[in-house]
Amino acid sequence: MIRISESGVRSTVQDRGRFGHLRSGVPPAGAADPHALAAANALVGNRADAAGIEIIGTPFRFTCDDSRLVAVTGRDVSLATRTRLDGWGSVFVRAGQMVTVHSGERTRFAYLALSGGIATPAVLGSRATYLPAGLGAPLRAGDTLPLGEADAGPEDAGRLIAPTTYDGRARAMAGPHDDRFEAGALERFFAATYVIDAASDRQGTRLGGAPIASPAGELQSCGVVAGAVQVPRGGAPIVLLADHQTTGGYPVIATVIAVDLGKVAQRMPGESLRFYRVERDEALDALRAERRALDGVRISA
Amino acid sequence: MKPRVVPFGEGALLVELADEFQENVVGWARAIADNWETVLAFGPAVPAYTTALLRFDPLRLAPTEAERAAAELLARGEFITRAGNGPPRVIQVPTTYDGPDLAETAEGSQLSVDQLVALHAGREYTAYFLGFLPGFAYCGRLDPRIVAPRLARPRERVPAGSVAVADGQTAVYPLTSPGGWRLIGRTDLAMFDAGAAEPVRIRAGDRLRFVPR
Repeated sequence: MIRISESGVRSTVQDRGRFGHLRSGVPPAGAADPHALAAANALVGNRADAAGIEIIGTPFRFTCDDSRLVAVTGRDVSLATRTRLDGWGSVFVRAGQMVTVHSGERTRFAYLALSGGIATPAVLGSRATYLPAGLGAPLRAGDTLPLGEADAGPEDAGRLIAPTTYDGRARAMAGPHDDRFEAGALERFFAATYVIDAASDRQGTRLGGAPIASPAGELQSCGVVAGAVQVPRGGAPIVLLADHQTTGGYPVIATVIAVDLGKVAQRMPGESLRFYRVERDEALDALRAERRALDGVRISA
Repeated sequence: MKPRVVPFGEGALLVELADEFQENVVGWARAIADNWETVLAFGPAVPAYTTALLRFDPLRLAPTEAERAAAELLARGEFITRAGNGPPRVIQVPTTYDGPDLAETAEGSQLSVDQLVALHAGREYTAYFLGFLPGFAYCGRLDPRIVAPRLARPRERVPAGSVAVADGQTAVYPLTSPGGWRLIGRTDLAMFDAGAAEPVRIRAGDRLRFVPR
């Protein structure tokens, strides 16, 4: 059991997402920065589908009823027990020991994983919280959550994963609707520097900057994925994130590759964001490299 | 347009069948999605009016292989066998026609309120696909005499159970949410229940009838 004594501004249980009911209109949800949650899970020896806690606004403070490995990841995050420890590493925490997750001014999402994983009942095949449909609820001080079984000991602590460089650069593949835009639009998109709009949330990162002319004519709504860069009528792009609707009616000029979703999600309002074009093979190489890095940490336990 | 398969990021493909709504294309898109999800079991699929989004794990299935499989499904044409979704059902939606946009929509359609209600309740609709919200089914087609462009300013809050029309389509809002469709009535029939074995009331392909009360 984990006992939460301070819950931050908005914290929710998240896993890698709920993908079994997309065609019923149920958004995937899951971590807005999927790589950060995956890294936290790997650091504490959890399976890739384990659930952790996504924290918006710290401090987040908790104790566990038994000893656990703990890791926190995200942008500019750290963990404090008696001492302060950098994020992206695993720590052994004893029963009853108070742990505090800290973050910085530029942290949008912090991820907390505990060995065994958060073991709340899965709903529609996932533990991911999706607040608009009442799937899960924001965590509050005083909440207790069940944890899965884990037998990690102090000797398993101290593992590290290289933190993501949240540098305002995200790689994206062209399309699927790039050929519906006027000539030069795709090149302009990849040459532009965008500024994050304050209305960004878990549903999408909204971008300001030079608008892109949206194509003439209506587009029929189609299924979409996280990372899709939609261009609505006004020309200000929106990058879809975890809580995105399952279908969208705006043309998608490019799609951010899976491993870089967090590099979009973690940008704060007012910060810049640029997109770099890659082909699918490079996206796959990046995905394989990510998987190798995570598996490497997990196996070394 | 010529039907085609295009990448949607590294882990999905978008099968585009047509530019415009066509009754037969909707079923075709759904059949491709059903086959992908149920027969090939490559991953989740999301059909819509003219497209099918086909997801897969690119570390397990090479994208080129996925493309080949999608192209094969496409090549089988629109008479591809349906799979997995079960036979269509007819769902009765008890409806109180007292929505805030009822009078204006009737006026805009040059109909009386009674005429509009009779037209809306007077035909059976097909649930074409689900999207926007959990359990939100895009149904149609409306009688063309009902003229219902989307609201210029979407509402911040549309109550759950609102029966709405827009652009030849009709739907029930499953959850309280923002929305730009015209609200003509309401129903108590729950459209989404996460705790139920089948969380959504309406499946794509089902038939729908609004019953005035």
